[in-house]
Amino acid sequence: MTTTGYIGRRLLQIVPVLLFVVTVTFVLINSIPGDPVRILVGPAADAAAIEAARAKYGLDQPLYVRYVRYLAAVATGDFGTSIHYGGVAVTEKIFERLPVTLLLLASSFTLAIGSAIPLGIFAAKNRNNGYDHLARVTSLIGVSTPSFWVGLLLIIVFAYYGDLLPPSGLIMPWADPASVDGATSRLDVLVTAASHLILPSITLGTLQMAAITRIERSSMLEVLNKDYVQLARAYGVSERTILRRQAFKNAQLPVLTVIGIQMTTALGGAVLTETVFNINGMGNLIITAVRAQDYQLIMGTTIFFAIVFVLGVLVVDVLYAVIDPRISYGGGAGE
Amino acid sequence: MVPVSDSTAAVGDSARTGGVADADERSAVSRTSQVVQQLKRNSASRVGLYVIGLVTVVALLTTIDADLFDYQFAATFWYHPENDPAGSTILLPPVGIENSFGTGTWAHPLGTDHRGRDVLVRLVYGTRIAVQVGLIATGIGMTIGTVVGAVSGYYGGWVDDVLQRFVESLYAIPFLILVIAIMSAFGKELGIAIVGVSITTIPVFTRLIRSQVLSVREMEYVEAAKAAGVRDRHIIFRHIIPNSFAPVLVQSTLQVGVNILIVASLSFLGFGVQPPTPSWGQMLAHSRQYMIVNPWFSIWPGLAILATVIGFNLLGDGLRDAIDPRSND
Repeated sequence: MTTTGYIGRRLLQIVPVLLFVVTVTFVLINSIPGDPVRILVGPAADAAAIEAARAKYGLDQPLYVRYVRYLAAVATGDFGTSIHYGGVAVTEKIFERLPVTLLLLASSFTLAIGSAIPLGIFAAKNRNNGYDHLARVTSLIGVSTPSFWVGLLLIIVFAYYGDLLPPSGLIMPWADPASVDGATSRLDVLVTAASHLILPSITLGTLQMAAITRIERSSMLEVLNKDYVQLARAYGVSERTILRRQAFKNAQLPVLTVIGIQMTTALGGAVLTETVFNINGMGNLIITAVRAQDYQLIMGTTIFFAIVFVLGVLVVDVLYAVIDPRISYGGGAGE
Repeated sequence: MVPVSDSTAAVGDSARTGGVADADERSAVSRTSQVVQQLKRNSASRVGLYVIGLVTVVALLTTIDADLFDYQFAATFWYHPENDPAGSTILLPPVGIENSFGTGTWAHPLGTDHRGRDVLVRLVYGTRIAVQVGLIATGIGMTIGTVVGAVSGYYGGWVDDVLQRFVESLYAIPFLILVIAIMSAFGKELGIAIVGVSITTIPVFTRLIRSQVLSVREMEYVEAAKAAGVRDRHIIFRHIIPNSFAPVLVQSTLQVGVNILIVASLSFLGFGVQPPTPSWGQMLAHSRQYMIVNPWFSIWPGLAILATVIGFNLLGDGLRDAIDPRSND
């Protein structure tokens, strides 16, 4: 099968997955006790006002009608309107918050991958000596620590005691200088943005970094013990060349899988990080939506997360096949 | 029939290549003892076992003897002087350390919280929730995930397709959000938290078992059993699942740690077990407002989570090394 055919087939497989996600979310959300309309109109509203609001949001229809309507709407990219945010389209709210979360995710993954891969290789090269033990203990602590606790500790040390970095909020690097406190130029904005980004990125990236370091180390070790590497050593090829030319690329497949898996954890982690640092991103949006019982907003954000994730997995799978030509695009059971 | 592996053969593949039932058992026994030997030699997994043992004993003690650690006091909502003969104040630091509320004493070794409750006592009770949810949710998720994975891998075809799409859907919703949605819909109770966390655990085991089954399915002894007219159910539960036991054991141990982290995260966001029942994540959530005046309050619950999860990770890593001697850790 060709690459294009493979991608096409995988895209087709996404359809039932998303249908299932929409159904599960719809059923779950409609099982939430309480009445969002009453929350919206307030305790003083009379029966007529409640009914009018109910009809306005289509909540007076039976469940299956709402389900079919919702499916049809989602298929055309319409996620409905948010009751909590006064009738704003859910998609508009999502795209308003999305850049914040993407910036946070990108920066924490850059930090995690950028430090984990050299660290893992270094540990593998120095197997069982001091550096290796240090890297192993650090990464063990990293995968075992609750990320929000890391955030709290960082705030205590660097914001309250050290007074070095801001404890909350996030500034977009492309924000208008006039809208940023104490900034007069683009450079000021960039500096402010970076200083706000450091603590949340470390908080969110710790787990990823630890997990990637662990897999990078063990994957490198495995490759370095392979026959062809031993043979290269016997021929007198330098360790440096072996690492660069032969071992590195072949060791990256399991690493890529782990990075892919970390994407789900990172989306969940973003919810926690945004809570700790009071960042107005997607994670905060979904928590606000749940607290306000804003059905459409909860469903919209959840389904959106699912779409992002499913596409992410597809990208990883395709990359996988690009890195390792031995992996066929075939639909066999061993896929 | 595949040649019966000698009991002294390399640990690696003996269970998979074992031919007939009693040979399976024979090699399994020697394998188990080898794994135990290996675990004993590994100091990291010994530390893990000690930590898990300690945490489990503490959690059990709180259920056996309610007076041992004053539960009423741990779970009171507000500080009442009559609840506390030691006459504590709020937000005290640990022993010997001073803050604006006073100096820590042995009456409250780790200090007190924002309602004057003893932090150590609440930590001890938090152990119970963490261990309960961690172990039970992993157990349920592992059982369902294993069966689904085995059926999916063994039958293949449309059964596999349907089950795989189902599992991918569960995977596609970020697990924290899935559990939050479940708890909002069905109630913020311990039982619901356990169900929610187990559902997020299912896909992990389904994937693991399915890939194992795909390799075992083609083994000659499975072919032979099929040819001999053994029922599918028998093949799945008596041959395929037992042969995939080792990786499942490793994954379960690691998963307990992951699930303890999920429970703590839920409580931190306010979607876990509700106050006044003490839980580690909830203590951390409360501590956020007092980070400047009493940072210790934020430190202890995090350390408790870290220590417990490290325990399970150390044991899990140790088990993997013992079971698979090829691994390099």
